[in-house]
Amino acid sequence: MKCESCNKKHATVHLTEIIGSTKKERHLCDECAQGVNTQLAKIPSPTEILTSLINQVAPEISEMSKIVCPVCGLSYLEFRSNGRLGCPMDYTIFRKGLVPLLEKMHGSTQHVGKVPSKAGKELIKKSELMQLRNELNKAVEKEDYEKAAELRDRIYDLSGDTNED
Amino acid sequence: MTFQVIPMKISDLANNTGEWLRGTGAESDIVISSRIRLARNVARFPFLSRTNIKQKKELEEIVRNKIKEAEITSDIHYINLADIDPIERLFLVERHLISREHAGGEGERGVAFGKSETISLMVNEEDHLRIQVIRSGFELKEAWKTIDGVDNKLEKKLTYAYSSRFGYLTACPTNVGTGMRASVMLHLPALGMTHHIEKVFNAVMKLGLVVRGLYGEGTQVSGDLYQISNQFTLGKSEQEIIEIIESVIPRITSYERMARKALIAESREQLEDRIWRSYGMLKVARMISSEEIMHLLSQVRMGVNLGIINTIEIKTLNELFILTLPGHLQKLEGRELNAQQRNIIRAAYVRKRLEEI
Repeated sequence: MKCESCNKKHATVHLTEIIGSTKKERHLCDECAQGVNTQLAKIPSPTEILTSLINQVAPEISEMSKIVCPVCGLSYLEFRSNGRLGCPMDYTIFRKGLVPLLEKMHGSTQHVGKVPSKAGKELIKKSELMQLRNELNKAVEKEDYEKAAELRDRIYDLSGDTNED
Repeated sequence: MTFQVIPMKISDLANNTGEWLRGTGAESDIVISSRIRLARNVARFPFLSRTNIKQKKELEEIVRNKIKEAEITSDIHYINLADIDPIERLFLVERHLISREHAGGEGERGVAFGKSETISLMVNEEDHLRIQVIRSGFELKEAWKTIDGVDNKLEKKLTYAYSSRFGYLTACPTNVGTGMRASVMLHLPALGMTHHIEKVFNAVMKLGLVVRGLYGEGTQVSGDLYQISNQFTLGKSEQEIIEIIESVIPRITSYERMARKALIAESREQLEDRIWRSYGMLKVARMISSEEIMHLLSQVRMGVNLGIINTIEIKTLNELFILTLPGHLQKLEGRELNAQQRNIIRAAYVRKRLEEI
């Protein structure tokens, strides 16, 4: 179909105008369409519609939407649309948005568990202490005081050499 | 130390199955297997969705070589998935050596596994490295011991992406923290037949666990086989996660046993008839679809557990669940087969296996 305005180029824009009960269709090429209908510019682009929707649903996104990881180039919006992070650094760069997400997914935002030996002895000790304290709380809840006393001693032993606590 | 970087012959595996199907271990009448996987990434590299071809190749090389250096088991083989055809990849999925996503992926990626197929290491799956250990029966603690040891060996060679706040950093935040997914595969025909299975699901979900089909996320339940695994990976230690799953499994297995007892007490004849009919079908049918065979094997497996049938070993039935899958049949035949051809060959294969008994 040729453009009905210039009659030269291929019509790629198809407009339907409804005024009252009359319907008018127009078939234009890209160039003519831009010149003819200034009203087109007022119609929000799909991205704008999406952004306004997102703002209503997940306010954290609008605040985070401008953030792009300088290491891998992933934007926060891309992450939210496909759910995959681009590099380990993203956990730091997108931290503010990630923390509530992690809370929702896991019910927690603090790792408890294995520490790679390369991460250093201090870190391992810290993590062990955290686990022991967890266990201690559980033992107290269960009123297992024998176990609680044993755990308390282990905590003292461990934290003793670092002067922590 | 032998380490075959040259692809091994996949057809050599086709007549056997991994050790995890041998039907041994605690509660193995109901618990088929226990599986743990750990997601790990190499520090200073982007996750795989942001790597270019060169980085992906480099990662594959690094991780493959480190697996070799770590001397995990004496008989580890490595297969580059880009070098094998889709049927062979399907075959590896069916054996639980790789995931469906890994099979369907692109570019440089591979899998290393030992002869017993208990340990497998996927390179360049969703994460740079996914370590998996599967054991027969209800053996999560033992599986953890093994996988923890493998991880320790690798960690000496590789620097993992790790933060003290978020733990092991993974491509998908649903795996961050321990990077661990622990799952137990259960055979629950009586709970299915008595429509009590929904109750189990509800109870399990309240504990933050999920129920899935035989091949994990998004797969349909068939053959009354269910996988129960943890959803959360952050905020609880590996041991705590395992303890939560371990605490719930005995309750489900005893519930299944109760349902079986009730079936026998209330309708012994019907149950026996159903089981023997399934057995008969397996012995005489000329065409069996993959969906039907799962159902028949499930019935017969329960019959063996209940002592109604005592000529077949549980191991044989466990194996048949895997050996009659499309990838395995095509590998056994050495050619591509359409659904109808598979149904014919599947029926013939099962008849032959049951005649041998």
